[in-house]
Amino acid sequence: MSGSKQAASPRAKRVLIVDDEPDVIGYLEMLLNDAGYETFTAGDGTTALEMARRERPDLVTLDISMPRASGTRFYKEVKKDPELAPIPVVIVTAVTGYGGDPYGYEKFLSHRSLVPPPEGFFPKPIDRDAFLAAVQKLLAA
Amino acid sequence: MNALGTRGGEIDSWVRSNLFDQIPVALSVISRDYRIVEANSQFEDAYGDWRGRPCYEVCKDRTEPCMRCAALETFLDGKIRRREEEGVMRNGKQIDYLVQMLPMTRPNGEIPFILEMFTDITPVKRLEREKREAERMAAVGETVAGVAHGVKNILMGLEGGMYAVNTGIQMGDDERIARGWTVLEDNVTRISAFVKEFLDFAKGTATAVALVDPNRPARAVVDLFRERAAQAGIRLEEELQDGVPAAPLDEEGIHTCLANLVSNAIDACTLSDKERDFVVTLASREEDGVLIYEVVDNGQGMDYEISRKVFSRFFTTKGSDRGTGLGLLTTKRIVHQHGGRISFESKEGEGSVFRIELPRATLPALGAGPKDGTPETAGTTT
Repeated sequence: MSGSKQAASPRAKRVLIVDDEPDVIGYLEMLLNDAGYETFTAGDGTTALEMARRERPDLVTLDISMPRASGTRFYKEVKKDPELAPIPVVIVTAVTGYGGDPYGYEKFLSHRSLVPPPEGFFPKPIDRDAFLAAVQKLLAA
Repeated sequence: MNALGTRGGEIDSWVRSNLFDQIPVALSVISRDYRIVEANSQFEDAYGDWRGRPCYEVCKDRTEPCMRCAALETFLDGKIRRREEEGVMRNGKQIDYLVQMLPMTRPNGEIPFILEMFTDITPVKRLEREKREAERMAAVGETVAGVAHGVKNILMGLEGGMYAVNTGIQMGDDERIARGWTVLEDNVTRISAFVKEFLDFAKGTATAVALVDPNRPARAVVDLFRERAAQAGIRLEEELQDGVPAAPLDEEGIHTCLANLVSNAIDACTLSDKERDFVVTLASREEDGVLIYEVVDNGQGMDYEISRKVFSRFFTTKGSDRGTGLGLLTTKRIVHQHGGRISFESKEGEGSVFRIELPRATLPALGAGPKDGTPETAGTTT
């Protein structure tokens, strides 16, 4: 489940979409292509890591519960790798925290280990405008 | 005892005069008409005045004999019995006790009296109930969290479909509209399947137990999956031990369990990136009074991270187009209702074995609902 979609601009920023749900990938692809970004996708953490190393995307959107290496493992690998660490990661997940807190996973990831908090965090289903605004801000930086 | 000389005689005499009253167990002796003819002080402390009154009145606050009277059975067959019962003490408090019935048999075989020994097991029973309730609440919590997870993924799919349809209309892009519409349809189908599976999970309390050949649901499952396995190029085999006696099972429940495990095993083979002859085997046998079902596959297996989560919550590695993560949770619930356990071994890249063990001693009673009541254990004759 990997491929690359060209957006209109030849100098478009490139976003790696990591999710195991084809419908979610289709949605995010369409949304980001419409906003002028180039996208490519991976359906699991292992493939995503290979692609991140090879393609050096400008931003990653990351699902957490996936087959093979999970999103958590991918995130830690990326943030521990000095070459990949600067790439902003926006987590897009349906994982719910303790007590139904939709941001519970973000807190868990932020204060549990030695990795920095993710640059963005969006519980599914995403707030489309807020998501696009966050992506735009991160890519403009 | 009195063959031991002076010391033996002393012990013998102490036991005869003191044991009955000083042993920390309530004792009573009943005659064939259920009247209590003798009791110790422990008994009197717990249940109050007993002289000339029937046991069901003193111990249970009843006006007539109990429905399944263990004493009556012991009067008839002379066997020692142990049974867990609920009673009412002199202060009106409920008590859970373990009662053991010892027939006082005359040399001619006649049984005029039974000695009943009562042990208070109220604290143990309370802990048991609390543990069961806590497990039930935890399962409910897991279920709700899992439903939320599944619904959120489907919602995201629906929103994606709507986005495609709406922007497609704005752009006059028919291809985009058609694509969005397909996504909408797929996700409506998914939510229907999800609700069905969720109801299967929730329906848990209405099990129907009947005496069935344990191999019957296993054969039905192999028949059900034969074609799907063949289409995927997987050999589906059965190794069912012949002559296993019938057992009280919820046949539909066992069928659901085995179908879930076989379906998972086929998926594990399909998802494997190895090139080999894939085989899924459903085996059954009985060992030392324990019914065993095993589903063995040589598919992708699980790494440590995944194997830790298999039963712990709504967990699926298949994406919600293939699974809701409810299958194994449902399976676990059904196995527990049968008084059994489920376990697995797995090696990444090599395959998995899932094993259901159902001890005959803890299977549900015939015609009963799920296992929740107090079991009876009949002792053996001396």
